Amino acid sequence: MRSVARRSVVMGIGASPLLAMGVVAEGAWPSQSIRLVVPFAPGGTTDLVARLIAAGLQEKLGFSIVVENRAGAGATLGSETVARAAPDGYTLVMSNIASHAISPAVYGNKVRYDPVKDFAHIALVVSNPTVWVANPRAGIRTMADVVARAKSAGGLQVATSGAGSSNHLLVVQMSRLIGTEITHVPFRGAGPAMQAVIAGQVPMMSDSLPSSAAHIKQGSVVAVGMCSAVRHPSFPDVPTFREQGFPLESDSWFGLSAPAGTPAPIIERLNREVMALLQTAEIRNRFAELGGTPGTYSAADYNSFIIREVAKWAPLVQAAGATAD
Amino acid sequence: MDLIANLAHGFGVALTFNNLLFCLIGCIIGTAIGVLPGIGPVATISLLLPITFGQPATTAVIMLAGIYYGAQYGGSTTAILLNLPGEVSSVVTTLEGYKMARRGRAGAALTVAALASFFAGCVSTVLVAASGPLLTSVALSFGPADYFSLMMLGLIISAVLAQGSVVKSIGMVVFGVALGLVGTDVQTGQQRFTFGIPELSDGVGFVSIAMGMFGIAEIILNLEKPEARSVMSGKVGSLMMTREEVRRAIPSVLRGTTVGSLLGILPGGGAALSSFGSYMMERKVSKGRHEFGTGAIEGVAGPEAANNAASQTSFIPLLTLGIPANAVMALMVGALIIQGIQPGPRMVEAQPDLFWGLIASMWLGNLMLLIINLPMIGLWVKLLAIPYRHMYPSILIFCAIGVYSLQNNVFDVYQTVFFGLFGYLCSKLRLEPAPMLIGFVLGPMMEEHLRRAMLLSRGDPMVFVQRPISATMLAIGAIALIAMLLPNIRKGKDKALQE
Repeated sequence: MRSVARRSVVMGIGASPLLAMGVVAEGAWPSQSIRLVVPFAPGGTTDLVARLIAAGLQEKLGFSIVVENRAGAGATLGSETVARAAPDGYTLVMSNIASHAISPAVYGNKVRYDPVKDFAHIALVVSNPTVWVANPRAGIRTMADVVARAKSAGGLQVATSGAGSSNHLLVVQMSRLIGTEITHVPFRGAGPAMQAVIAGQVPMMSDSLPSSAAHIKQGSVVAVGMCSAVRHPSFPDVPTFREQGFPLESDSWFGLSAPAGTPAPIIERLNREVMALLQTAEIRNRFAELGGTPGTYSAADYNSFIIREVAKWAPLVQAAGATAD
Repeated sequence: MDLIANLAHGFGVALTFNNLLFCLIGCIIGTAIGVLPGIGPVATISLLLPITFGQPATTAVIMLAGIYYGAQYGGSTTAILLNLPGEVSSVVTTLEGYKMARRGRAGAALTVAALASFFAGCVSTVLVAASGPLLTSVALSFGPADYFSLMMLGLIISAVLAQGSVVKSIGMVVFGVALGLVGTDVQTGQQRFTFGIPELSDGVGFVSIAMGMFGIAEIILNLEKPEARSVMSGKVGSLMMTREEVRRAIPSVLRGTTVGSLLGILPGGGAALSSFGSYMMERKVSKGRHEFGTGAIEGVAGPEAANNAASQTSFIPLLTLGIPANAVMALMVGALIIQGIQPGPRMVEAQPDLFWGLIASMWLGNLMLLIINLPMIGLWVKLLAIPYRHMYPSILIFCAIGVYSLQNNVFDVYQTVFFGLFGYLCSKLRLEPAPMLIGFVLGPMMEEHLRRAMLLSRGDPMVFVQRPISATMLAIGAIALIAMLLPNIRKGKDKALQE
């Protein structure tokens, strides 16, 4: 087992495209189990979706997909292992807005991979809009209330799942747009932040829709604005930021990627299987409940999407002063 | 009346063959991973999650919950026998439990741990059932200022933990706090004390520190003194508790259950504080307080009860608010979401089968754990008779596997080796590792809550005395500090006069 794995690593480093192609030509891919690295701790949204996708994919591919959590350093540690893995189609990563757009800007040269060049991106799996929710007793119902509160003497505090998250960067964008500082109150993860908002310790939260959806539906928080291009089908009553006069859009997303040099037929096959999986009623229903939108990109489109995201977030990270240096 | 009807409904759900079976499977797996050092419930549950996809949601959660509290049970076994804590709560168990084992009372320590856990589990399960929603509002009334003051109180009282030099133990607390600050600053995202090592950006691993400072260091010390080892393996002692031990343990179990049930409700840190809190309390108020440090049974009974009570009541925020209190709960939320159930504030009404079934299964699970664990004690204690030269390499291997499994990262193994050597050094210098771990756990949480409280009060420190909960905690802390210092000052004076 071990020697096989080592040999394939050596091949990967050596003359990867040619040799790897040879491997594919020799036998059909896949011929063994596939490792799917999730660069977050178990239990988060990315981890969940990875497990859902893994369960569906292994049925279609006929080989088991082993989900491996390698959290740390803004999702860059797990992504780095995959960037360095053999490009043989047996190591994949859940690429995401943190590991492949924000963290490279936050951690700078400490990130030892290029989010674009070192990967063969396969498919966007899901994107989740950011939503601003308020405690029902805070008296904030619209984005106009948000601005009024921010400009009042007491100011406005907004909780997020952590410094340097896309939710935080949206607070920074909003502050710049309205020309008034909104106080950012970071927590360790969305759970504690949501609890503080429900308890009324912080009036508002900038959150990714999946962690807020149940609380919005059950009325423990009020959705003030959805930060996406269009209203969300599961929450048709919640107007977008743009509708309320604030031209901002912020989706958090994650997808599937492989090390650069993975043969194109494997990438195409995986893209097809993921797209087919995302069309099944079961997955569609789960994503709808969570508030996510399934991806539709081809592999090439996902690649250019990531290029755009990298370019979009770098200046915002600078503006937020969230760099780790 | 409602409560009884609901509980009856819950037992109806939990007593179906399938649910009983998975509860048992969960408890057995939990005990097994609890006993294996370092392999924690998070790694196990994430591995087993796919198995639950095919089961109904209630069955899945019953099994996962069984793994969780089963691991708490099992964790005390290695803590007592091998001085190897795998979790925050078992650190406290090593303090008196391992000393008891060295005195040949390993059987009694394991028995009292199992019985105390069982009792506390039963009581706190009833508490969850009867007043879950009420307790939720208590948890919600705790703001950042109150958390800070609670932890401040914990840190002040932890000075009581000092066995020997107060200065050294304060030094260790401070060093622990400094270690806790390694990693990404929650407020600004800045890296602190990471020396450019990406693996340190999420902080130093607790399990690495605990296993290194206690377990590995102990192995090095044992290898140094061959005579101590032979004494150890010779003394297995009677498995039963003496009547005297039972009499001493009962009040501690009652106090521990109370402390644990209350602190467990507070998400993030509550459960961790509970066993420390109970230990400190026993050291101060129990009849056997003079025996602390040499293997007092109260120091095992109280914290074990507190830890298990807290692990049950920590389900309250999950069940009533849909907010996970720790990583294991987050995984359970994940299991539910995969099943198509979105945990949220109305879970009790929307999913009565799940809520009451889980509560009933927690009680059944505690009973199963007792039945699994009590007969095993004889077997565990026999482990001590294995020659140490066979024993320690296997302990080291299990530690390495366990630590690696936390994040699938070799760096964690290096960290454990480092803290093993550091722990050995500390014991040579007579520095206690326990205060350091308290500092490590509480320090970063205190900082986080302090800064958040100040952020929300817009820089006004008066918030700590204006909020009643916070003010009360600080007042108790101040009284404790004065009460502790006064006799010392007097003693110092007496000494001065004599000279």
